[in-house]
Amino acid sequence: MELNALDQEFMYSGHVGCPGCGAAIAMRFFLKALGDKTIMVMPACCWSVIAGPYPQSALKIPLIHSAFETGGAVASGVRAALDMKGDKETTVVTWAGDGGTFDIGFQALSGAVERNENFIYVCYDNEAYMNTGIQRSSSTPYGAWTTTTPGADWKKLRKKNIVEALVAHRIPYAATANIAFPEDLVRKAQKAKAIKGSRFIHVYASCPTGWRIPSEMSIKIARMAVQTNIFPLYEVEDGLRYTINYKPKEYLVREYFKLQGRFRHLTDKDLDQIQEMVNEDWELLLRKAGEHT
Amino acid sequence: MPRSYMSTEVNKTGSWRFLRPRYDEKTAPCSAACPAGEDISRIEMLTTQGLFKEAWETILRENPFPAVCGRVCFHPCEGVCNRGEFDSAVAIHVMERFLAETALRYDLKPLLERSPGKKEKVAIAGAGPSGLSAACFLNRLGYACDVFEAASEPGGILRWGIPEYRLPLSALRSEIARIESEGVRIITNKRLPADFVAGIGGNYDAVFIGCGHGRTTMLRIPGEDSSGVEDGLEFLNKIRSGAAPPVDGLSAVIGGGNTAVDVARSILRLGGKAVILYRRRRQDMPAFQEEVEMALEEGVELKELLAPARVVKDRKGLLITMRPMKVAGEDKSGRGRVEPAGGKTQEFRVRRVFKATGAEAVEEWHRPPGRQRNVLVLENCVLVNRAKGPAVVFGGDLTNETKSVAHAVASGKAAAIALDTFFREGFKAVRSRLKSCAVGKGTALSMEIYMGGERRLRNPHVVRFGEINTDYFHFAPRITQPRLMKEERLSTFKEIDLKISANLAIREAERCFNCGVCNRCDNCYLFCPDLAVIREKDLVGRLINYDYCKGCGLCVVECPRNAMTLEEEKR
Amino acid sequence: MKRVLEGSHAVAEAVRLAKVQVISAYPITPQTHIVEILSDYCSTGKLKARFLRVESEHSALAALIGAQSSGVRTFTATSSQGLALMHELLHWSSGARLPIVMAEVNRALGPGWNIWMDQTDSLAQRDTGWIQFYCEDGQEVLDTTLQAYRLAEEVNLPVMVVLDAFFLSHTYEPVDIPDEKDVDRFLPPFAPKFQLDTANPCSFGQLVTPAFYMEMRHDIDRAMDMALVRFGEIEEEYARIFKRRYGAVEAIQCDDADIILLTSGTVTSTCRLVLKALRDRGEKVGILKVKLFRPTPAEQIRGALKSAKKVAVIDRNCSFGAGGIFAQEVRAALCNLPGHPLVYGYIAGIGGRDVTPELLEEIYWKTKNSEVPEKESVWMGLQEVAHGTQRS
Repeated sequence: MELNALDQEFMYSGHVGCPGCGAAIAMRFFLKALGDKTIMVMPACCWSVIAGPYPQSALKIPLIHSAFETGGAVASGVRAALDMKGDKETTVVTWAGDGGTFDIGFQALSGAVERNENFIYVCYDNEAYMNTGIQRSSSTPYGAWTTTTPGADWKKLRKKNIVEALVAHRIPYAATANIAFPEDLVRKAQKAKAIKGSRFIHVYASCPTGWRIPSEMSIKIARMAVQTNIFPLYEVEDGLRYTINYKPKEYLVREYFKLQGRFRHLTDKDLDQIQEMVNEDWELLLRKAGEHT
Repeated sequence: MPRSYMSTEVNKTGSWRFLRPRYDEKTAPCSAACPAGEDISRIEMLTTQGLFKEAWETILRENPFPAVCGRVCFHPCEGVCNRGEFDSAVAIHVMERFLAETALRYDLKPLLERSPGKKEKVAIAGAGPSGLSAACFLNRLGYACDVFEAASEPGGILRWGIPEYRLPLSALRSEIARIESEGVRIITNKRLPADFVAGIGGNYDAVFIGCGHGRTTMLRIPGEDSSGVEDGLEFLNKIRSGAAPPVDGLSAVIGGGNTAVDVARSILRLGGKAVILYRRRRQDMPAFQEEVEMALEEGVELKELLAPARVVKDRKGLLITMRPMKVAGEDKSGRGRVEPAGGKTQEFRVRRVFKATGAEAVEEWHRPPGRQRNVLVLENCVLVNRAKGPAVVFGGDLTNETKSVAHAVASGKAAAIALDTFFREGFKAVRSRLKSCAVGKGTALSMEIYMGGERRLRNPHVVRFGEINTDYFHFAPRITQPRLMKEERLSTFKEIDLKISANLAIREAERCFNCGVCNRCDNCYLFCPDLAVIREKDLVGRLINYDYCKGCGLCVVECPRNAMTLEEEKR
Repeated sequence: MKRVLEGSHAVAEAVRLAKVQVISAYPITPQTHIVEILSDYCSTGKLKARFLRVESEHSALAALIGAQSSGVRTFTATSSQGLALMHELLHWSSGARLPIVMAEVNRALGPGWNIWMDQTDSLAQRDTGWIQFYCEDGQEVLDTTLQAYRLAEEVNLPVMVVLDAFFLSHTYEPVDIPDEKDVDRFLPPFAPKFQLDTANPCSFGQLVTPAFYMEMRHDIDRAMDMALVRFGEIEEEYARIFKRRYGAVEAIQCDDADIILLTSGTVTSTCRLVLKALRDRGEKVGILKVKLFRPTPAEQIRGALKSAKKVAVIDRNCSFGAGGIFAQEVRAALCNLPGHPLVYGYIAGIGGRDVTPELLEEIYWKTKNSEVPEKESVWMGLQEVAHGTQRS
């Protein structure tokens, strides 16, 4: 598959992401879609480090690092300033991890989208506080090991459904995306770019280091997440219209779990239970999309 | 406030690596299974890209008869096709014909690599598929070749044995015309005498004998020489010469190979009725299963497990007595071994009996010698290094265990490479030289490898289905070869298989995994987190920037067709 | 043009005159009037600015960090809990060298919710790299806010203009509102030294290793030193145009004073009355009003206090375990001066408790009549009340 006009790169080699880093792949695709008239706000996350140490930077676009919980707020300020300067071309994007989106950054995000601030918020989700050493976040999925949910205390709480939380704010555009589906991701990024108001994209970004998977499996596992309905690809417009973008092969969830070290401790019984939970969520999504089974 | 204007490119993250990926094209199973060693995965890739001429040239590089093989080959390639383990095998056979047809339609002239002219001259006995192949390849290697054909037209079994409805004359003729236009000289109506080899003198430096098996084997039963007991091959020959031999009444055809089936189906088309009497079971028949199926559809009868015992001619016609046989186990390939079952014999009242139980060399001097000190018995040919006079190579049906067009082509190629090596490096170098041109460490040879083409660099490892990343493929039904309907078939010798459109061809070619071949899908480029895969405009392939490659291995895993390899970094 | 305005309004006028472009604030008593007036100005077009109605103070300052980094002039206001919530980003603003200006209304910190005057909130942020000005009246608030933008933008450090809760924020006084053309002469449009710009892309705030960080911090310290110098010059310029000047410190009759009362904020006004009364009774007393708290105008403090025998510092704040903060800073400024005056620390007026002229006189006499200070800071005006905790 040729990306044609999207052959330009807005990122440099030499960044310090782990080998096989899904977040690096996600950034690369998004930048291709958004182009060089973009200003990026980056609260504390893995990418704060991946971007390289001063005086280097791995990005070709202007970037402002910000405090952990301020992704939504700093972007609001940047946008306001650009508006006052009469800039109608530049897109403001917040690039945050799951920590800075689901947890500590949730307030600023909710505030910003409630005001329908004109920016794109991209959360690249590696499902834990990876930058600080794999601690659990509210985005960590049910069943996962992390350093703060070790051993028998593996996370027995569901992953927070961030997209639904934002859909409840009735923002113009919310979508999920996945690094194993680049065309879908790029399409959504470009679609978001053309919409005014608050736009949110939740990107699945594999983490070989934190998930205990071999680095070469990042894409395969990302794809599996979609194929098992664990991370469906869908869009919601104006908080009302759901569109499921991809009809997955509906593999059993255990195919996904068994590939990852962070789930190694789960028993068949646990996996059965998880399968039911995933089925339930998928059914719910189908109903919202008006596609009953 | 720290402000960074410098890029991270100063940071050579390649030093992190302990595994290193590289582009490593490998061998597709279809190529290894094709007796002619056609680079099939590449052919399908070019077809998908609409590069029909290039795809056709890729065939011609290894096989001068795509229009023929695309119709009559038994396609062992499809039997090992990795796609077959996913949904169904790619219809390689259909694609080959499509490409040949396209080339014909647009009168394409191939541009193939040729070696500079050499002084040696080669004489070729028999303008059948093996002889013409030998001539074609030798010609490409720079040798002047003269092909001597006893019949009035070249083609051998292709011209005189295979019926029109399987291989139209026009297709064959255009194929041969192209071979001639490359510089091969064919002298027809010239039957070579037995002392031809001995009496060549200095005119030729080598001789290729590809006269084929033109003599039908005897049944060796009483009454075999009665009138009405006819030679199957001769029958087909007559039809191919334009005649319409009488076939009134019921004819019995003895045998189970393609000749037998061809005879039976030809009889039907001429208005007669036919019954095939075969000593083994239907599944043991050497004839192509598709042919048998169509024959039965058309109304040919088949009687299994019957061996001929005796023919008696009387006033009403012929009476052939058949002895029932029974299966007494199976050999290694699953073919049944049969022995007389005892019990009552069966008698069939027929107008004539056609013998089609096999064939053998017409002349004694056509038979190749056995293994000796100066005789090299290779996979598809036999090379005789004579103390005085030209070297002799035997090939085609004379030497091949499997008697197919594809193997005949393999013979011709092996002979050409063997002779070129013989002339340039000597007799002792031939075997190892041939081995070095093998496709995937198998028995098929590749002219591209021999002549130093780009694909000579491919890794001989044959790609298995398990090495294909099937995430990138969706189930897609295999194309159905469009055919004349049964009713249409019976009244005519018109070709049964119909043409397919370019659109359908591309769709089918897209099903090919392109095992081991980089088709520039760019997954490697796309998924590299470190932007370490370089795609330059003029470059055909891709490059890895080892300054930054961290060895994560994503490119290798996401290559759907195992055209890359990950190996340990040597430090 | 002279108008009778409350302190909040004076702030708003200054912000309007400064032609601020992005305002982001979260309401908290007693700052609310500032944001309400500005919100109205933005809505009616009296001020052409974007007003971001953020969902917390932390986000308010975060938004300004974003906006200022993008090259526009910004403003926010807060108090007490809000300022405390901003703490992380106060450090961030100065570290990012952004010339943000904030009006800080001194208010007590909870728990027990207390919306009244207390300096602890702003002083607790003295380490964050913000320039801090303590204002005595409405006019000073307006003038200082305008000067704050000049100073901030020259040295690239954020500035906090501090005013007393209610005593200043909600008190109506006559205030001279300068003419727009004059203000434009004094304060030209913001010319950013750096900004986020797609035409000139760069990364701000990248990870900094030990190899580089220290020099960046040193630069901030040097900027503070520069601010000390530049403030004086900017004030001179302002005085030439608008005929008003305050000084980093204001020494009132300190030359021959034996005892100097050191004050800040509105207490200074009360103290001026007490000064007159005491002087009339022959007491050799003076006042040192400290306006510029950060950077510490140590030279000027030393200069004003050197001949006195005693200094009584009135702190409307407390750093628990170390006493009043002004007192600590004054001691630090004096300690290497040979023969420096004794420093008596007094804590008064906490949580809106009135600092009356009587209390100030009590402080004076207590100071005069004790040979040495009994402790670092003495709490004044405590009452015998039962309030549910042990009285120390």
